[in-house]
Amino acid sequence: MSLVSEPFIVDAHVHTGYLNLFFSPEVDAKSLLARMDALSIQYAVNLGSSRNLLVSSAAEMEKAEAEFRESGKRLFYCGFFDPRRATEDLTTLDRAARGSGFKGIKIHPSFCGVAGDDPRYEPVWQFAAERALPIVSHTWSVSSYNPAQALSTPERFERFASRFQSVRFILGHAGGRGEGRLQAIRMAQEHANVFMDISGDVMDRHFLERMAGEKVEQKVLFGSDYPWLDQRAHLCGVFLAGISLSAKGMILRENARRVFDLP
Amino acid sequence: MTDRLIAQIASERRARVESLDLFDANLWLGEPDYFPLAEPIAANGLREAMGEYAIRGGLVSHWDGIRLSPQDGNQALRDVDGAFPPDVWTVWVGLPLAPGEQGPLPATGAAHPRMRGVRLFPRIHHFQLSPWVVGSLCEWCVSRRLPVFLWHTEIDWEGLHGLAAAFPELTIVLDTQWQKILYHNRDLFSLLDACGNVLVESSNLLGQDFVAWVVRHWGARRILFGSFLPAADPYSAIGMILDADISAEEKALIAGGNARAIVRQVRP
Repeated sequence: MSLVSEPFIVDAHVHTGYLNLFFSPEVDAKSLLARMDALSIQYAVNLGSSRNLLVSSAAEMEKAEAEFRESGKRLFYCGFFDPRRATEDLTTLDRAARGSGFKGIKIHPSFCGVAGDDPRYEPVWQFAAERALPIVSHTWSVSSYNPAQALSTPERFERFASRFQSVRFILGHAGGRGEGRLQAIRMAQEHANVFMDISGDVMDRHFLERMAGEKVEQKVLFGSDYPWLDQRAHLCGVFLAGISLSAKGMILRENARRVFDLP
Repeated sequence: MTDRLIAQIASERRARVESLDLFDANLWLGEPDYFPLAEPIAANGLREAMGEYAIRGGLVSHWDGIRLSPQDGNQALRDVDGAFPPDVWTVWVGLPLAPGEQGPLPATGAAHPRMRGVRLFPRIHHFQLSPWVVGSLCEWCVSRRLPVFLWHTEIDWEGLHGLAAAFPELTIVLDTQWQKILYHNRDLFSLLDACGNVLVESSNLLGQDFVAWVVRHWGARRILFGSFLPAADPYSAIGMILDADISAEEKALIAGGNARAIVRQVRP
């Protein structure tokens, strides 16, 4: 496995830690760094371990900060907010925000069982607005085989994204498959503060060409969802897409640097 | 500087993709369900679409076989037979041989000379994937050395294991679409371990290091490159092969060698 030369890519959507839903041969920060080195990836944004998505804790934030330091400041990270334990999680986030690798907040309505438009998310949008932090959410389409995905469809976030225009909001997985993806594209077009990452298993043919054609290439971030999915899966498609070199540069690096305020 | 670097990487990668000599086990004609952004491909547009990704041959199926009926899909493939590029072969949708249904189906009448595989959709078409239901069709496929293709969304793992064990000479290709195979990989890898006649198609085999994992444990002959074109971007599956930690010979088998060998051995 090799790409080339000096690292310059930013992977805006990774995780570390054990997985409960399926098997992955490697799940730790050290393995991730080795992959990044081989693929010319300079920085990654860790959106949390499975454990942190299920039971967010100060200890998980401390672990993420330690991984950030041990990685030579390459593995930035986000904290997690679960509206069912808002007070506790905001306290954890407030403490974590003092860490030098902390770069934003992840929410996951499908995991939490609370829809993205539920008023119980308001405190975290307020928190992000006050601290100029981005929010990343898992997003997907309504799914016949996974009903919880209906809680994370892109349009559910529209009310908050419109109200908190200073908060940079990233639609993780670009709305997933089908209708969700169409909604994600629409929201990225209509809202200056809404972005999409391409992590996940769904990469439509000519998706990037379409984004460039509709002048939203500055809204698309490369992301892999490691260790759920392989960083190699979508890198090839970005490099060989029929879009300009500057658009590829934005997707691979500059958009994530801007959104997450990376070096 | 980044522009120059990206241009250099893109150029180098394109050359490497060309050298893979890709044969695609998962091409589709017609209007895809579930993927509203997909641009349907007609038979006379297949050469151009494949050429965009340096795909030189392949096995093509038709969405009408799912959306309308197996017979409609098979007839649609037969209708455009003259428009296929060289080294493109068809995969027909099959049904159980009993009760015996009308229309163009595998094992009823003369086999179509371009047919190189049979697809089954047990859930969509309402039948059990059990030897007592599809056994006679499987025997016919074995006699012609035709592989059977199945979406993982169409099977239960116990049933597929039972079928693979009952017909050890039948080549079964498990497609990784149209949903994530990821959530089923504990079953998938156990099945590959248990049944040497099961192969996996690669269009959604995008989990961390999965290509190298399969090769290391069960050998490169167990994966067939598939793009799921036009619903998916072929570069996802291509990238997984291109950058896998496996030898050039193993990449060549996955990229096209395995599928071409299967196509060659079919006795229409």
